[in-house]
Amino acid sequence: MSRFALFCFAFLAMTAPAVAGELKLSVAASLKEVINELTASYTAKNPSTVFVKNFGSSGTLAGQIENGAPADLFIAANTEWMNYLKEKKLVDVASEKTFAFNSLVFAGSTKKHVSSMNDLPALDKIAVGSPKSVPAGEYAMTAITKSGIETKLNGKLVMAKDVRECLMYAEIGEVDGAFIYRTDALQAQKAKLLFVVPQKLYPRVVYPMALTVKAAQNSEAKAFEAYLQGNEAKSVLSKFGFILK
Amino acid sequence: MLLTPEDITAILLSIKVSLTATALSLPFGFTVAWLIVFKPFRGKVLLEVLVNLPLTLPPVVIGFFLLLLLGKHGWIGKLLAESGIVLIFTWKAAVIASATVGFPLLVRSIRLGMESIDRQLIDASRSLGAQWYDTLLTIILPLSFRGILAGSSLMFARSLGEFGATIIVAGNIPGITQTIPLAIYDYASSPSSTAMALSLCLVSVVISVTVLFLHELLSRKLDRSRAL
Repeated sequence: MSRFALFCFAFLAMTAPAVAGELKLSVAASLKEVINELTASYTAKNPSTVFVKNFGSSGTLAGQIENGAPADLFIAANTEWMNYLKEKKLVDVASEKTFAFNSLVFAGSTKKHVSSMNDLPALDKIAVGSPKSVPAGEYAMTAITKSGIETKLNGKLVMAKDVRECLMYAEIGEVDGAFIYRTDALQAQKAKLLFVVPQKLYPRVVYPMALTVKAAQNSEAKAFEAYLQGNEAKSVLSKFGFILK
Repeated sequence: MLLTPEDITAILLSIKVSLTATALSLPFGFTVAWLIVFKPFRGKVLLEVLVNLPLTLPPVVIGFFLLLLLGKHGWIGKLLAESGIVLIFTWKAAVIASATVGFPLLVRSIRLGMESIDRQLIDASRSLGAQWYDTLLTIILPLSFRGILAGSSLMFARSLGEFGATIIVAGNIPGITQTIPLAIYDYASSPSSTAMALSLCLVSVVISVTVLFLHELLSRKLDRSRAL
């Protein structure tokens, strides 16, 4: 038993070395690919900085940070969860910046003609993120309500656990289409972008970022946040389909 | 305690799904256990591995397989669609997910019950001229009753907790396919509704503890009645 405990201890000690330049990122899941590319090119230039990345839904990440999860930089998929942490005095307000914008689209592999919100009632099944926990689902529901087709879509909406699950349902053809982000639609293989949801129907999709209070004085964290606002980051963001202004 | 009408629906739906899944699986579980315990045949190991597979496979994998199998373009889904049956994204899909994931627990318990039957009783019934179905109905079924009960309650409890496979084949649709774990997942992903999440967690704990208590009590009673 004691040998086992010793082994566990040695294993833990091995896996969690206290690296000086370690930056812990808590990032909204929809930014996974773009952040992976940005951290890789940042490490290439600054080999002393090591990234520990935690991807998840913004609400989950905010909950983790509230409960003491180690994080230096938080990038959320909406302002709600950033404000939540601001209220709890867990993020450094002065360091809050806008990382990028995104837009909501409707994508699918249906053969029916779909080019606007008014064509949706003709479909059988439509995937949206579960509005309580998925910001994209919240935006989609707002757009549906505002265009007045809510009752016509009764029984047609399939709530998925995140945007990527919506996309998966659309890809394998189990739903006619799905409300997803433009950036997700660009990753799709079979599902095609059918129409862009008019911006006047839902609040703008903003990705705010901020350093946590603990990391506010950490120069490496500051440097990385500055890098994320630089030209190189911008070109990577637009390559993945994000909107910069 | 904070329970919205939506939460109550989720609780009732969970119980409905778990009961249906258990009831549907019982005849199959009993047959499979009987085959494994009493019938020598080729490929028995294969059957055992197949039956136990859902116990070790990640539920997400099972959910994804079921989605591909029962979906519009899947083998079974296509056949069902011709007769107008749609399973995906309905509560029936949740039943199938729960049934698949809980099945090994059911078979295991029934098997243990059957293995504890004194073989001499079976041999005696045979030597007295009983047919296989006579032996099955008058000896094996009553004597493995405890195992059946234990397996059913265990499977019921497991079905109540089914999450990974369900969220893929049934989606997370409030009022239609949102069971207790899916509702908790929704709440837990937004820290501002921690209180709601905790209320539902409490309900979940109470139901599970009650079911497991009943399970223990029943098996003890049966033990005692057998000792007399």
